[in-house]
Amino acid sequence: MRDDAVWLEGERPSVAELEDRAFELRSKLLHLCGTYEGAVHIGGDLSAADIFTALFHYGLRVDPHDISNPRRDRFLLSKGHAAVCMYIAMSMRGFFSYDGIVETYGKLDSAYGMHPCKVQLPGVEASTGSLGHGLPLAVGMALSARHRGEAHRVVCLLGDGETGEGSVWEAAMAARSNELGNLVAFVDRNRQLMTSHAEERVAFEPYPDKWRAFGWEVVETDGHDMAALVKAIDDLPASDSDRPTVVICETVKGKGVDFMERNLAWHAGSLGAADLERALAALEASRQKETV
Amino acid sequence: MPVTFTFGEMLSARSVIGTTLAELGETHDNLWVLTPDIGATLVEFRDKYPDRFLDVGLAEQVCVGIAAGLAYDGNIPVVSGMLPFLSMRALEQIRTDVCYPNLPVKIIGTHGGLVGNGGSTHYAVEDLALMSALTNMTVTSIGDPLMVGEILRQSMTMPGPIYIRLAVGKSDKVLYQPGEHDVRIGKGIIARDGTDATIFTHGTTVAQALQAAEDLAADGRSVRVVDMFTLKPIDEALIAQCADETHGRFVVLEDHLAYGGLATRIADVVADRGIRLNAFERLGIPQVYAGFGDDEELRDKHGYGLAATVAATRRVIAHPSWPTSH
Repeated sequence: MRDDAVWLEGERPSVAELEDRAFELRSKLLHLCGTYEGAVHIGGDLSAADIFTALFHYGLRVDPHDISNPRRDRFLLSKGHAAVCMYIAMSMRGFFSYDGIVETYGKLDSAYGMHPCKVQLPGVEASTGSLGHGLPLAVGMALSARHRGEAHRVVCLLGDGETGEGSVWEAAMAARSNELGNLVAFVDRNRQLMTSHAEERVAFEPYPDKWRAFGWEVVETDGHDMAALVKAIDDLPASDSDRPTVVICETVKGKGVDFMERNLAWHAGSLGAADLERALAALEASRQKETV
Repeated sequence: MPVTFTFGEMLSARSVIGTTLAELGETHDNLWVLTPDIGATLVEFRDKYPDRFLDVGLAEQVCVGIAAGLAYDGNIPVVSGMLPFLSMRALEQIRTDVCYPNLPVKIIGTHGGLVGNGGSTHYAVEDLALMSALTNMTVTSIGDPLMVGEILRQSMTMPGPIYIRLAVGKSDKVLYQPGEHDVRIGKGIIARDGTDATIFTHGTTVAQALQAAEDLAADGRSVRVVDMFTLKPIDEALIAQCADETHGRFVVLEDHLAYGGLATRIADVVADRGIRLNAFERLGIPQVYAGFGDDEELRDKHGYGLAATVAATRRVIAHPSWPTSH
């Protein structure tokens, strides 16, 4: 049996608290984007920020003080370019120091790079970043858990763009073939690639049907609706079920900052001081709008 | 039970792999065997440990990715398949998912070189160049069928990945008696001693090099044959020793592209260490897509068969020496 109490002290945060954390995560992302001199993959960070919050602050059974516990849920970031969003979400859960991230991100000898490196940052589960690699790793970890009779889940976050990689579908087939109900994929369906809007160049649709055709349980949800994300997590099949689940999260690239939203120019970039103020104001305005 | 074999007797390296994996599966409960639809010889392991055997079907990329995921979780995965596909279709998975985090995944397979008559789709001729380029990867190429078992056993304690290359592996000449040589990953084997020149080789052409040395002995030439079954890390000390002991006369013979494999690695050591040679010839596959034919015919056609090996060895022996004064 899964023992939730081991992993979260006291009560799990409420939806409202999670929304506050997601706002804090976005604010911190924008600050980093405004202080770091290089480009930050801010578009795909912002689209995934609510998913990261729901996972690291609600769904995942992980312990920042015991990163090697064999019973922990495994989280694999297949869309590795959202690493900084993961680092900050994990720092807010106590894994890393946020100041350490801000001070060293992308710099020589930093553990916090553009794409996560397990060797340099043991708190992450795997070295990822080359797209289409995360789900195969997740299948291996899920098989290992099954073999050992462990009840934890393996959770993998993919971007929709990277599901153009054939290896994703090799893994989808392998997961179903091996009845890995302990495997859950979250897809950040922000409908943008680096240089195009999704359907312009690649026929992803009918997207959920593709996963269904591979034998997966498909859950479709609004990836910016925290209550919906929490419900999707609560409703996941038990980890001893025989079908892997994909949670397709409909999102907006650049979510929360109006001039970044659905804007191909903001796949990656950096913010000057003035733009940072503008972005933070836009984020605040976006929150006001949503709470009205 | 000790078994003896006669030199030249034929044995299937694949059967040795099958037996060895089944044996190692018993002592290592974290050993997994994965394959992309290859491996009749893995049946013994599959039957004994069905829950640690995975045939993913035709999907090399996910096969290696799954192996990496298993290894992240403390398992020791062996991926067995055909090398032209494992080394190229799954190259990025090997590099990024296995080598980057330095995971103990073993890649073992067949069809290294112009073997099997499958044509260039089915010949791994660039694989050693590709694998040798990967940081953390240990690269081996095995000729003696019994040695495959020993290499697998030794590899169980390695912290990182290893690539093990075989030819076809259905019927291989036994080259060494068990225990005849101290087989250690990273150390070459002097398969036959001699003083006039050294032939360095690996894998399926070790038998050919030994035959060439035998042929040359008939007219009084003393030729050393080194089975350099580990290409990476290369046995630098043995290269220097052979330069000293065989008059700086080297032939490198391999069933791989002549540039990028063992010859290149030896040339690198010679250049980096300032080893003084009198003559150096490389015999291997030229930059062509080689066509069909049996193994020996293809080697002859492409200039690295037995006759070419004998001729090249004669040339390096006859080559004038550099003046000995410094």
